[in-house]
Amino acid sequence: MSWARPLVLGRLVRLAWLLPLAAVGLFTLISLAPIDPVQAYVGDRTALVGSDQRAAIAAAWGLDRPATERFGAWLGGVAQGDLGRSITYDAPVSEVIARRVPASLALIGTAFVTSFVVGTGLGIAAATARGGVGDRILRSLAVVLSASPGFWIAILLIAVFAIALGWLPSCCAAPPGLTLAEVGIGDRLRHLVLPVATLSVVGTAPLILHTRQRLVVFLDGPAAQHLRAHGLTERRIAFGAGLRHAVGPALNLHLAGAGELFGGSVLAETVFAWPGLGQATARAATGADAPLLMGIGLSTLLLVFCGNLAADIAARIADPRLRHPRP
Amino acid sequence: MRLLFAAALSAMLFAPVAAVTARPLVLAVGGEPEGGFDPITGWGSYGTPLFQSTLLRRAPDLSLVGDLATDWTLSPDRTRWTVTLRDDARFSDGTPVTPEDVAFTYNTARDAGGLVDMAGFEEARVSGPHEVQLDLSAPRISFTSRLATLGIVPAEGYGPGYARAPVGSGPFQLVEWREGAQLVVEPNPYWHGGEIGFDRVSFVFGSEEAGLALARTGQADLVAVPASQADSAPQGMTPLNVETVDNRGLMFPMRPDTGQTTDTGAPIGNDVTADRAIRVAINQAVDRDALVTLALAGHGRPATGPADGLPWDNPQGGIPGADPEGARATLEAAGWRDADGDGLREKDGLSAAFDVVYPAGDSTRQALALGVAQQLRDIGLHVTPNGRSWDEIRALMHAQVVVMGWGAHDPSEVMNLYHGSGAGAGYFNPGFYSNPTVDAHLEAAERAPDFEASLPDWQAAEWDGTTGFGAKGDAAWAWLVNLEHAYWASDCLDTGARQIHPHGHGFPITHDLPDWRWTCEE
Repeated sequence: MSWARPLVLGRLVRLAWLLPLAAVGLFTLISLAPIDPVQAYVGDRTALVGSDQRAAIAAAWGLDRPATERFGAWLGGVAQGDLGRSITYDAPVSEVIARRVPASLALIGTAFVTSFVVGTGLGIAAATARGGVGDRILRSLAVVLSASPGFWIAILLIAVFAIALGWLPSCCAAPPGLTLAEVGIGDRLRHLVLPVATLSVVGTAPLILHTRQRLVVFLDGPAAQHLRAHGLTERRIAFGAGLRHAVGPALNLHLAGAGELFGGSVLAETVFAWPGLGQATARAATGADAPLLMGIGLSTLLLVFCGNLAADIAARIADPRLRHPRP
Repeated sequence: MRLLFAAALSAMLFAPVAAVTARPLVLAVGGEPEGGFDPITGWGSYGTPLFQSTLLRRAPDLSLVGDLATDWTLSPDRTRWTVTLRDDARFSDGTPVTPEDVAFTYNTARDAGGLVDMAGFEEARVSGPHEVQLDLSAPRISFTSRLATLGIVPAEGYGPGYARAPVGSGPFQLVEWREGAQLVVEPNPYWHGGEIGFDRVSFVFGSEEAGLALARTGQADLVAVPASQADSAPQGMTPLNVETVDNRGLMFPMRPDTGQTTDTGAPIGNDVTADRAIRVAINQAVDRDALVTLALAGHGRPATGPADGLPWDNPQGGIPGADPEGARATLEAAGWRDADGDGLREKDGLSAAFDVVYPAGDSTRQALALGVAQQLRDIGLHVTPNGRSWDEIRALMHAQVVVMGWGAHDPSEVMNLYHGSGAGAGYFNPGFYSNPTVDAHLEAAERAPDFEASLPDWQAAEWDGTTGFGAKGDAAWAWLVNLEHAYWASDCLDTGARQIHPHGHGFPITHDLPDWRWTCEE
């Protein structure tokens, strides 16, 4: 594992300049956004809150100070491990994130595994049937899926499975009227199906096409011909040696796309009323809630960064040729 | 015939009343307070505060009745409220509600910088075993609304975690709040207000679509629905259209354009709408019933003032409209004539043309702007509908007509909209409306000895026979429509007598939740 140390160290150096750069960029964007946080906070109650009280709200949240000063205060807090206070949720940012991370991780994690298994599986199936009807159907499906916007797929799934057929719930993480302790595991899984399906589509389509391509090259190569000559069936070659051949790059591709999965979860959570980080992001954005957006933005950056690092490590484990790049 | 009627009546009277069985209730009416259930930072100003009780509350006819208070009087100089509390009120943890708790709540809200407007409030003091005094810095009768909306929190146990674990003396106690998903509450056994018809009430949050889906699958008993869905309730549910003062109207810039700008550089004034004749003619010409049909699909009523149907409203001040003949006469008399025959009036070389700005994302306001433009073309005014973002509107609103909406159960809104001291401040009075007589009426209202006595003064500000902010007077606005808020309610749910609802669709319907009853047998 001598290759791992320089890789991780190099990445940590990159992170050290990436984080401050992202923080400044994010804060600038939020400050420039044409949303008045006080107005967003007041919301529906505009008629009941006079201008003196607005000034009091701005003062209580420090919104009356210039942007540079607010950024300085935020940075000082972060240095001491305090991510600030969210005006939308009237709670510490770290608390808001911690409360919402489990729901999001359940969603993203399940979608990550599902799209990997389904995408690779279908890719291999397409490769074994290359040129045939099954291959064409799968390829068309992949192209259609990758061209479909997530919200459209969500609406389609709800219309078919929730409203027309009535098989699956279209909203929320649990049935209404019950406390968490009263909700069974079966119910929770049922509520997970449609959001996960929506979110998985983002990652599935490229995986199908990618895996198929890698495997076709392998199956048409001399190694596969050799195996065939020994009498192995096409299916055993594909799911045996072929799988090992295709799965490394597929995992690499999939891990590198972890950021897209997070972006997709904002949409899926909004459509399916899923109480996770994505929903909080949408609320924070419409409320110009700078500390919360910064907190979520930077933790997403860390997540994507770790995803990419894991992808590189996984690729090196799967493919020894990558461990010692030629000079 | 009379006999038949008598028989029917007695049958109704003596029919066995359906046994009221406690059952769970599921509502999807939005209104999740992201910041939690802390009255001091603003929870509870619309709808029921659920967990807390208030000193006073508004009955369905919006009159004030006691909740925690049994007696409330204002001192002769109108700056001190003396409130006597009932002695049987308890928080949901069993401890009694004391005057100390009330004083603590008011003093903390004053210093909090939250959404409770405590301007003009000085200090609360305990003045007896069941009595508390609230001091104001100046007479302000609209502070009475605070007495009816500020929920009382326990002095002992109030702290940073309160918003997410509220304890109060209201009808319900918190069972579980999964943020962004659902709130589950159950009746507070110590509540002083009587029996509650449900053993559990759940509020499902999330999107409007989610609420509709729950209703269609029979999982929700009451849901807020968009106006377009108002009449298509699923089986087992009935459309419930609630009258509101959630109004929309045209706000007019009152000053002529003299090149003046605000501190931020936004232009002030509009030469066309600065002419009273133009504003009155618009009020005369618009066909408000047609606008209700056009923009609200019939789900609304015409608006002629900022508070139609509320106790401080003065219907005398409005002009019903749909009178293009009268509007033309007004314009002719003021010198706005179509001299060059292009169908558009001019006066002293100035064309009677102006923009009507609306927030581009709001289809109701867009339809109103388009409808008004069409109707006013008829009397020779050239109106250009103009959709902008709120950010752009903030820069345009001192010089352009804007489609705005208000509507609150609080006359201080009238004060904010029309008093000269607020000219140009925020969204309330962007048109720089100012009339010393109206200001005097509004100030007299605030100095009134009690809320009832203030009503004639609020009304006089709208129209006192010679002037006012209403259409017959200065015509500072042309109010157009009041929306109806649409819900689907289970056939078995009796929501009792309802108030006229304020601005904001959804949670306000819960105002009388403790009185709701389930009328079907299980």
